[in-house]
Amino acid sequence: MKPPEEGQVQKGPLKGIKRGETVLEARGITKRFPGVVANDQIYFEIKAGEIHAVLGENGAGKTTLMNILFGLYQPDEGEIFIGGKSVKFRSPLDAIDMGIGMVHQHRKLIPAHTVIENIILGHPSAGKILNINRAGDEINELCERYGFHVDLKAKVWQLSEGEKQVVEILKTLYRGAEVLILDEPTSALTPIETEKLLTSIEAMSKDELAIVPFITHKLPIVLAISDRVTVLRRGKVTARLDTKDATEKSLAMEMVGREVIFRIERTRVERGKPILQVENLSALSDKGVLALSGVSFSISEGEIFGIAGISGNGQRELVEVIAGLRNPEEGKVILDEIDITFSSSLERWQRGMGYIPCDRIDVGSIGDFSLVENTTMNYYFDDNYSRYGIVDYKKLRKLTEEIVSEYGVATPSPDTQAKTLSGGNLQKLILARVLSRKPRLVIADLPTQGLDVGATEFVRNKLVEAKKGKAGVLLISEDLDEILSLSDWVAPVYEGKLMDIIPGEKVKREIVGAMMAGLHLEGEET
Amino acid sequence: MRIGSYELKLEKRGTLSNWQAASISILAIIFALALFSIIFILAGINPLSAYREIFSFAFINPYGLPPTINRFIFLLFCTYAFIIPFRAGLWNIGMTGQLYAGALGAFAVLFAFGGKASLSADLSLEIVIPFMLIAAALGGAVPGAIAGFLKGKYNINEIVVTMLLNFIIFWLVSFMIKEGGPFMNPGGRGESFELPPSVYAPLINNVPFTIFIALGLAVLIYFLFAKTKIGYQIRAYGQNPAAAEYAGISPFKIPLLVFTLGGAIAGLAGYHYFAAVPGVYKIARNYGFFGDLAFYGIICGLISLGNPIAAIPVALLFGGLSVGGRYVQGKLSMSFGLDYALLGVLMITLVVFQFFYRYKIVFIKIGKERTDVGVLR
Ligand SMILES: Nc1ncnc2c1ncn2[C@@H]1O[C@H](COP(=O)(O)OP(=O)(O)OP(=O)(O)O)[C@@H](O)[C@H]1O
Ligand SMILES: [Mg+2]
Repeated sequence: MKPPEEGQVQKGPLKGIKRGETVLEARGITKRFPGVVANDQIYFEIKAGEIHAVLGENGAGKTTLMNILFGLYQPDEGEIFIGGKSVKFRSPLDAIDMGIGMVHQHRKLIPAHTVIENIILGHPSAGKILNINRAGDEINELCERYGFHVDLKAKVWQLSEGEKQVVEILKTLYRGAEVLILDEPTSALTPIETEKLLTSIEAMSKDELAIVPFITHKLPIVLAISDRVTVLRRGKVTARLDTKDATEKSLAMEMVGREVIFRIERTRVERGKPILQVENLSALSDKGVLALSGVSFSISEGEIFGIAGISGNGQRELVEVIAGLRNPEEGKVILDEIDITFSSSLERWQRGMGYIPCDRIDVGSIGDFSLVENTTMNYYFDDNYSRYGIVDYKKLRKLTEEIVSEYGVATPSPDTQAKTLSGGNLQKLILARVLSRKPRLVIADLPTQGLDVGATEFVRNKLVEAKKGKAGVLLISEDLDEILSLSDWVAPVYEGKLMDIIPGEKVKREIVGAMMAGLHLEGEET
Repeated sequence: MRIGSYELKLEKRGTLSNWQAASISILAIIFALALFSIIFILAGINPLSAYREIFSFAFINPYGLPPTINRFIFLLFCTYAFIIPFRAGLWNIGMTGQLYAGALGAFAVLFAFGGKASLSADLSLEIVIPFMLIAAALGGAVPGAIAGFLKGKYNINEIVVTMLLNFIIFWLVSFMIKEGGPFMNPGGRGESFELPPSVYAPLINNVPFTIFIALGLAVLIYFLFAKTKIGYQIRAYGQNPAAAEYAGISPFKIPLLVFTLGGAIAGLAGYHYFAAVPGVYKIARNYGFFGDLAFYGIICGLISLGNPIAAIPVALLFGGLSVGGRYVQGKLSMSFGLDYALLGVLMITLVVFQFFYRYKIVFIKIGKERTDVGVLR
């Protein structure tokens, strides 16, 4: 980052390095984990002022490589050079000293603290004499320069995902990061937040910060803002190219090694009996405000019902009420003609609900459990997999092996801990585990987040397959393409209300987009 | 750190096998004993002969071994009372209260059968002892269930509740056994009435039968967590409560269940010490001592990482050292509190050595084009 004031000397590796010169270089990086070579003789370089995208399938080794550059892991082989000098990082502290900052795939902020406290926490000058007002001024200056908007006095738990992301970035910038590593920075962001973030990223790169954003599945973003791309496949670099020479097709080809079809064939299935009926549902959010009001709809056998909306508009509350994890204030939930409004979530699972939560780390999986034990999460209550209160782990191990190979979860063995899976592979495991139950009602909350193009295509086809098998699917997504290509019904949601319910074939993209922003509602009210 | 042409490095472990954990613990014990020799040396005593005295008294001597075993059984119950909630991610520090509640339960049965009236009361062992065991378990389960209920229903911190319940139960015990209390000793020594010899717990080779209950529990608890549905649900809740709730595991029932079970097991510890250990046979009045001993259940549970089988040798060691330590203190006329100091050093070392459960030291041969450790500027 450039000095906030004139006369202050710029420190760190970027000192004296001009735009276009190499800042960081990694040679021959190899990292092995039990049973996998996550990085295999990788060569990687970043130049000052460039936005450098790293692409690759789930489990290709992107996060591992970045963790090595950030000092979280030590490579088994290979060397890192900064400004031409060999460096060795014992821990992230060394990396931070050298001006490297990283924003992780999963947020690491303290929810109960304010934004400014989170930003200065762990700063070298924190703990010594710390002038919080001056820190505030400096942070505000950073915000202004790069176009970030965030209330420094707000508590972190009150922020949206996009704002949290901004806080993470500010935190690393404030510590003096000049090489900024962003691991999947947009996967949890709404489209509007994404756009804002991308503008800020571009502003930062003009300031000669080197940036590595890391966008696995959103190829259009890569094409729009990056200068260069490095593609990894199974731990090896398969391509390094200037973005202007790339197309969406060519990048997908390099990543997966085969051509990827971006379209899903839309199939109509004969509509059957109603599976899920939701009547006049209202619910409070965790903060105690009305987050969902008067929502009614119904899903029948063989239908995908898509709820399109920017997250934070009541989707979470809706899904949790249907799954039995939150009590409604009002209204009814009916599954297969049985009122389940007040049934336990266990009973709903047993009645054929299959819920894919959007939070794969904190809700969808248990990191210290093996993959088999993670599969057990959705099977321990199933009489086919336990008898007289004893769980049949042998059978579950076989099942896990089957779903792991069917869904292509990259892992050395079903006994490895779930926390060692890459983000996308964990998502695949959760999807596989839930869909393998052949649920009557599938609740899919952001099912393809963090998945590479190949896996996204695969999962969307799985949802279509479930629909063909007479299941009803409730699909929650922010990705309009996903909603429009899959849904038989599209319901845009805004501030806890469904704006409309439109049959899939009549849907117009612009109209749904406008409704997601609440435009239709204004005309109707008052 | 560098030694010759080797570099020493700390590395995070992936997984830890049971054998690795065991050898780390044994190293820790040796280290602690070596460290503690300083105390003996300062007092002008040869540490090797001091340790020989301690261990031979605790584990061989006909006067030392029985108390070792009795404390071991007691500790094992307390450890399991800690372990079951611990696997659900919850902390039971109320074993002291729970074991006294169990003792009250057991003595209430005696009271009901007329055991207080006369020491020569001829009660039927086959009937009274099962009732006493059940009542002890129930007695311990009640305070446990209160803590579990409050945690599950209102998310009230279980550490605070179990600790406060300790105080309440202390006063309750005190009320029951002191002068004028229903369970008071006719001699009025601030103890409970004594067990009639007709219902002394059966001894096998001078060891109370409760040892079989304790060892049986080891196997049962191991099986519970390794194989059963309930064990799975407890572990899932312990690792990630939000994920467990997602999977349909009740965030109310699990705390209630683990604390009820834990309390019941602590109650058995109360039965064991006050109704089965030869020479005791009454609710003793030295609360503090049993509180401290029960406290080591937490340490044993932590050191054995919640593994009920691994807890057996750990509890045996702690039981033995508490007996042997007190003995050499008297024999070598050392200052008071030697046994507690020894247990304390051992406890701290074991906890510190748990660092190596997560990290290992590796030696790396430094190659020709040597790279310096640290950041080169
Ligand atoms: N701590 C670890 N222990 C064992 N294996 C690991 C560990 N971290 C990563 N791996 C393995 O290394 C491989 C690469 O993982 P990595 O997280 O780098 O993938 P990724 O490219 O970031 O994928 P995604 O797009 O899904 O996030 C995977 O097979 C993963 O299972
Ligand atoms: Mg990743």
